[in-house]
This record gives sequence, structure tokens and C-alpha cells, in this order.
Amino acid sequence: MRDSASDPAALEPLELLRVQRSRLADRMRPPWWYLPGTAIVWALFFVGPFASRSFASPASVSTWAIVIPIVGVCFALQWGMTRAIGIKAGPRPLRLLRDGLFYYRPGRPAGIAIAVVCFAALGAEASLIRHGLPVAAIAVAVLAVAANVAAMQALQLAVRRDLRDGGWTA
Amino acid sequence: MDGVTAKPDPLIHPITRLSICGLLAAGADWVEFAALRDAAGVSDSVLSKQSRVLEDAGYLEVRKGAVGRRPRTWFRLTPEGRRATQGHLAWLAQLEEAVSASTQDTLSMSLASISIRDASET
Repeated sequence: MRDSASDPAALEPLELLRVQRSRLADRMRPPWWYLPGTAIVWALFFVGPFASRSFASPASVSTWAIVIPIVGVCFALQWGMTRAIGIKAGPRPLRLLRDGLFYYRPGRPAGIAIAVVCFAALGAEASLIRHGLPVAAIAVAVLAVAANVAAMQALQLAVRRDLRDGGWTA
Repeated sequence: MDGVTAKPDPLIHPITRLSICGLLAAGADWVEFAALRDAAGVSDSVLSKQSRVLEDAGYLEVRKGAVGRRPRTWFRLTPEGRRATQGHLAWLAQLEEAVSASTQDTLSMSLASISIRDASET
């Protein structure tokens, strides 16, 4: 075992590990169907206010009829992506305690953006439907789907960056 | 790496095992055999052999499954393996700092000797 601080060859493993982590992160690119899949999930999510029984529309359905397909598609997407890329990265904390200080992990802004878009768009849609402006509500839903798909892309990018930087070991 | 003691681990030190542990500690929960093999740049047999050593030492958890007829093997670090990897990587990082500091010292000493020589010549 090399144990000398003056031996520059001892650093080769760290440099090699950086290259290998970069290779692993590059592999973590979602397959082509992942993006349309996330768009379908968010479309189902933002259709909720239109189909909800609380607005007593003729086409109203139970909340479960919306929630169950969303959860099902989410699981199918995650399962398919894990099998396609060979890497499973589950939910991760958005902040990390290191040397007594909290550090925000990459992906936090995207996570916050998704939550904000969800609350704002659902509120706006409900309000517009109540005021008899369904076309405006549809426009809000379309914009919200686009925003959240973009935020999901940013989140994926941040997870890849975190993997490249070493995650917990950085 | 809060609360991690920087110390070398002889089991992780060989380059292939360090690659396996370092890649699994990078943030993913489970990594599939082919993904790990490609990222580490090793052959199937080398990965099988070294992963068995790590598994026997209790550093690695192995899950075997199948997708259709194709067998799939998944790896992840155990808490003990994660601790050992973090400690070993912290030790390597300390080495890196020490080497760069000593290189810096050598460089500044060389520059100082050059400037002294130049001054004496003029």
C-alpha cells in the first residue's frame, strides 16, 4: 500500500475515480420515452381541477380516478428508467449536514419550482373555472405542464451533476 | 463527510475495489452489473471476483434478479462499506492536499532560489 504523502502516484486513484463517476453520470440519461411520460403525468395532474366533483361538471369523476393513474404512471416510469439505465437513485434529502453546517444539494431550486408551480397552477385553474373561464384555465394547465417538465429535466441534470461530483463522498 | 474518520482501508485500496466502492458511494442506491462494469472499465470476470471479495467482507450487498430470461445483478454498499469507503476517500483527499502543499512549497523554494541567484548575478 502506498502511504507516502510525497508520492504523487497515490493520487491516481482519485483522478481515475473522478473519470469513472463521470462515466456513470453520463449513463444516467433518461430514455426517450421518459420525457413524454413525465408530460403525461403532469397533464393528468393538472386535469384534476377540470374533472373534480367539487365543480359539479357533467364529466366529474372521483379524485381517486385521477390519483391512481398518476401514481401508476409514476411507478411505471421509475421502474422502466431504473431498468433501462441500470442505476437506481431514490429520493434524496435536499440538504446535507457536513462539518456541522447544512449544505443545499443540487436540484433544490428545481424541486422548489415544481412545488410552487403545482400550488399556483392548481389554485389559478380552480379560480378560473369558478369564474367561467375554462379556456384560460386550460392555458394555465398547459403552461404548468411545460414548466414542470422543464423543472424535471433540471432535476435530472442536477442528480447527474451530484453523481459526477461524488454525492455523499464529495 | 461529517463524522468520517480519514483512514486507509487495505480491503478497498486495490484500484478495482476502490472503483467499485467509490462508484457505489457516489449517490446511487443500486447500480446494475453492466452499468458498474462499464463505468469502472473492467471485465465481467474482474468485477465478479472483486465484488465477491467485498460481499464476503460485508461491504457490498448483492441482489440477483432477472428481466425476462436475462439475469440481472444489482449492487449497493452496506452501511459498513459506505463508512469504510468514505474514510478511505477522505484519507486519499488528505494525501492529495498534502502532495499539492508540498509541491507548492517546492515550487516557491525553487522560485526563491532563482530570484536569489538572479539578484546575486546582477
